[in-house]
Amino acid sequence: MTYQTVGQSVARLDGIEKVTGEAVFVDDISLPGMLHARVLRSQRAHALITGLDVSEAMAQPGVVAVVTGRGLPRRIGACIQDMYPMAVDRVRYVGEPVAVVVAENPHQAHHALASIKVSYQDLAVVTDPWEASRPGAPQIHPDQAVYHRLPGIHPLPGSNIFHRLQVCRGNTADAFREAFLVVENRYWHPSIYHVQLEPHGAIATYHQKGGLTMYASSQAPYVVRHVICELLGLPPGRVRVIVPYVGGGFGGKSDHTIEPLLAWVARHVPGRPVKLVLTREEMACGTVIGRGALVHYRSAVSQDGMLLGVEAEVFLNGGGYGDFAVNIVTAAGISATGPYQVPNIKITAHGVYTNTPPTGACRGYGHPEVHWACERQMDIIAARLGMSPVEIRLKNALGPGKVNAIGQQMESHNGRVDLCIQQVVDALGGPECFLPRTNPCVGSIALEPGGIEADPLPHPTGANASPKAEPSGACAKPAAMPGKVRGKGIAALMKCPIMPTNAQSGAIIKLEEDGGVMVSVGAIEMGQGCHTVLAQIAAEALSLPLERVQVAPQVDTFHSPYEWQTVASHTTWAVGNAIRLAAAQLCDKITRAAAVILQVPAERLEVVGGRVQDRERPERYLTLQQLARGYTDARGTALSAPLIGEGNFVPQGLSHLDPETGQGNIAADWTFACQGAEVEVDTRTGEVTVLRLVSAMDVGKVINPVLAEGQIYGAAVQAMGAAICEGIVFDREGRIRNPSLTDYKVPGVEDMPELQALFVETPEESGPYGARGLGEHGAVCVPPAIANAIQQATGLEFFDLPVTAEKIIRAQQKRGVPA
Amino acid sequence: MNYTITLKVNGRTVQRDVPAHLTLLEFIRSGLQLTGTKHGCGNGECGACTVIMDGKAVRACLILAVEANGCAVETIEGLVESPLAPFAGELPGAVTGTGHSHPEINGASPVGEGVGAGLHPIQRAFLAKGAVQCGFCTPGMIMAAKALYDRNPNPDRAAVVEALGGHLCRCTGYQPIIDAVLAVQTE
Repeated sequence: MTYQTVGQSVARLDGIEKVTGEAVFVDDISLPGMLHARVLRSQRAHALITGLDVSEAMAQPGVVAVVTGRGLPRRIGACIQDMYPMAVDRVRYVGEPVAVVVAENPHQAHHALASIKVSYQDLAVVTDPWEASRPGAPQIHPDQAVYHRLPGIHPLPGSNIFHRLQVCRGNTADAFREAFLVVENRYWHPSIYHVQLEPHGAIATYHQKGGLTMYASSQAPYVVRHVICELLGLPPGRVRVIVPYVGGGFGGKSDHTIEPLLAWVARHVPGRPVKLVLTREEMACGTVIGRGALVHYRSAVSQDGMLLGVEAEVFLNGGGYGDFAVNIVTAAGISATGPYQVPNIKITAHGVYTNTPPTGACRGYGHPEVHWACERQMDIIAARLGMSPVEIRLKNALGPGKVNAIGQQMESHNGRVDLCIQQVVDALGGPECFLPRTNPCVGSIALEPGGIEADPLPHPTGANASPKAEPSGACAKPAAMPGKVRGKGIAALMKCPIMPTNAQSGAIIKLEEDGGVMVSVGAIEMGQGCHTVLAQIAAEALSLPLERVQVAPQVDTFHSPYEWQTVASHTTWAVGNAIRLAAAQLCDKITRAAAVILQVPAERLEVVGGRVQDRERPERYLTLQQLARGYTDARGTALSAPLIGEGNFVPQGLSHLDPETGQGNIAADWTFACQGAEVEVDTRTGEVTVLRLVSAMDVGKVINPVLAEGQIYGAAVQAMGAAICEGIVFDREGRIRNPSLTDYKVPGVEDMPELQALFVETPEESGPYGARGLGEHGAVCVPPAIANAIQQATGLEFFDLPVTAEKIIRAQQKRGVPA
Repeated sequence: MNYTITLKVNGRTVQRDVPAHLTLLEFIRSGLQLTGTKHGCGNGECGACTVIMDGKAVRACLILAVEANGCAVETIEGLVESPLAPFAGELPGAVTGTGHSHPEINGASPVGEGVGAGLHPIQRAFLAKGAVQCGFCTPGMIMAAKALYDRNPNPDRAAVVEALGGHLCRCTGYQPIIDAVLAVQTE
């Protein structure tokens, strides 16, 4: 299939605005009479509020209002209504809003915070999801049984578990009894920050006639609108949410974060806009954080390396409120077996309340947590069996005809993880770089069938030593410097979007008076380039040159069509489908209008190159320009009306998971991929340098190669941070010890490895021009790929992230290698 | 306490009364309404607020407005070379590469032929190399690159990495940004 615009690396629609500084973000907007808000945040992780006195703050210069949670009408939430937008009588994490000062300028609001007096009665604090799941743990939501929640959410009343998903297939008891080898380990992925460069911000005006207008840095204006309507008792037509350019989202601006809080605040100063932009320190505790999961993983394997069974328990940190983490639990549960066919499965994923800031969506959510376990486990199994890590993956890989963990059968158009693995292996130097570990069976391996080889379960801060691989052949590259060792590792992945079964995406295409079109969508441009890709899809579908296609850059719930939210790597796929439907409707309207004017049957007409023409006599045509505002004949009589096409898409045939077995049709499409890393470890300092990160992804048809590469590069480097340097540190009182970008190190330009993105393009039947999602997938498997490479380089096995220099030195010391 | 400061911003002299605590970033964004310079952290950790002051790339959030008294400040808004001639000349994607293996932006310009021809070569290089995603770090990155080129017209990769050191980008993985800054000199 040849395309005109699809497949081209066209320049971004928003590029010039962004290189000139003209692009407008929320904090760049000033409205007449605008006030500024600052938030007093709890310094206690778990406490009852016993006193709150704002009278002195009210008297400070410039202060217009001090707003508290008193009088809040109801709890809010999209999945579980378990939170108020600010504390009412109890705080559940350090950073929870307790009071908000509204003043004429930000400095006045900030200074007045110090005059607010709060007294607390402390409660016991727990920040670890596993500890919080134990009987006797401090109860963070004692009344969770009465919370309103969507169907398909299964809490355990009387505990901190707000959602539990079980996925069961076959009979794991038999599988583990008959296994040649059982490998069992515990893996930890700490909480991380998204570190969007643009802090969360919003401006809200509560109108004196009732209703609210909000500018928000949000991936989910329709979710924000819904929650605000619920909170303030307003109809949707009275709440307008407008999203200008968003300076990075990565899931952290999905669902709702600061917006209901600001709506409540604005309610207290009707008629005046109020701006709230978080400081960088508030970004650590005033919105959502990501990940935070303990995964206890057992694999049963046959002698020839086939996965017979997997038993896994996932404890996901939900933080103080679980509303945002429900779908993460689901994602972790259904993807815990990775891109492999496993006949016998028993997975339980728990979402657990703790006293940390709430956990929300974070690039790939649910998937990186369990792939960290699954893909480390595959390398360990391969070593125990004396197999190559490549071979064991290829043997077990999902593919056409195979069945995934929730019982869905893969079709040939779903993609090829085997090809992705082979491409990464080839890019890293070939299969000889991934030979079986030379001395795999040192230790107490159980060789008789039925025997169980339980690894010592490391506490999530340890590392086990195993024999070091001896690189050989073409790959035995000498390290650059004495004292440095190199290794290569791979990890494979499968990811599907986790979404409501009726996740909506709409598109409106208006034929403009010059014969071009204006496309309106509800999808947010937050850097991923979706508006450019969607313009390419529209141009292709309408056979128009790209410069005749515009996409309205601001999403506005008053005008833009519905969009569930811009998350889950589903925009190109779902909104792209909506655009194709809208384009088809517009073309249909064009040909029907032209049929009347040209006196040619509509089915003989085609829309091509800005014209509608007779297929049989192409010299008979009208330009789209002639039709845009209504065609008039020589007498001035209008023969057609203005033309607008609309398209609305929901995924087909999805259903809830079975509550007992977790089986069901919840995933609409999958993207398979493999990622590989080459690292150099300084054995004297423990420092890890990532030399190369290679990703091969079966994304279906690539609509825009440069943008697609950009997604994979960015995701891979984000995940490289999670692999070797990122992790939020909580102290015993639940305070974050590293809230700044000085103490929380993210990869910088000096840390960059050589990045490579490779595409397998198996066309996706359900996607526009065969495309499927790719935005998050590059973040899923980099940590295990890097840890597997560190293992090859040093012989050290790591089970908890990040793999820092300190952990490597400690592990070496434990093994007896002088540092 | 207010002080009167006089400085040049993008070639134009401005005089204002400012409070002592006002940062140069607040002055530029709120006082002058030049919002292209971004506030990412306020602590000098991210580089999004980088402007050029007397030839040096500086973090505007770490400098008080009064310290800029008598200085020449360049912001992202001052970079466009010929803002009155936007509809002539080459496409924004016309910068050539430096032998890197990554695909160039090619094909049609979605914004129309010739638009953006007045852009500074660094701005064009950022577009051509796919170095822009969310755009929030972009003005700071471009100003750091401009300061580099102003003092070193032929930087190598190490010089580019040093000049961009401490500038955070969470979208691109930096590689396209490095490629873009290196591509400028081939113009």
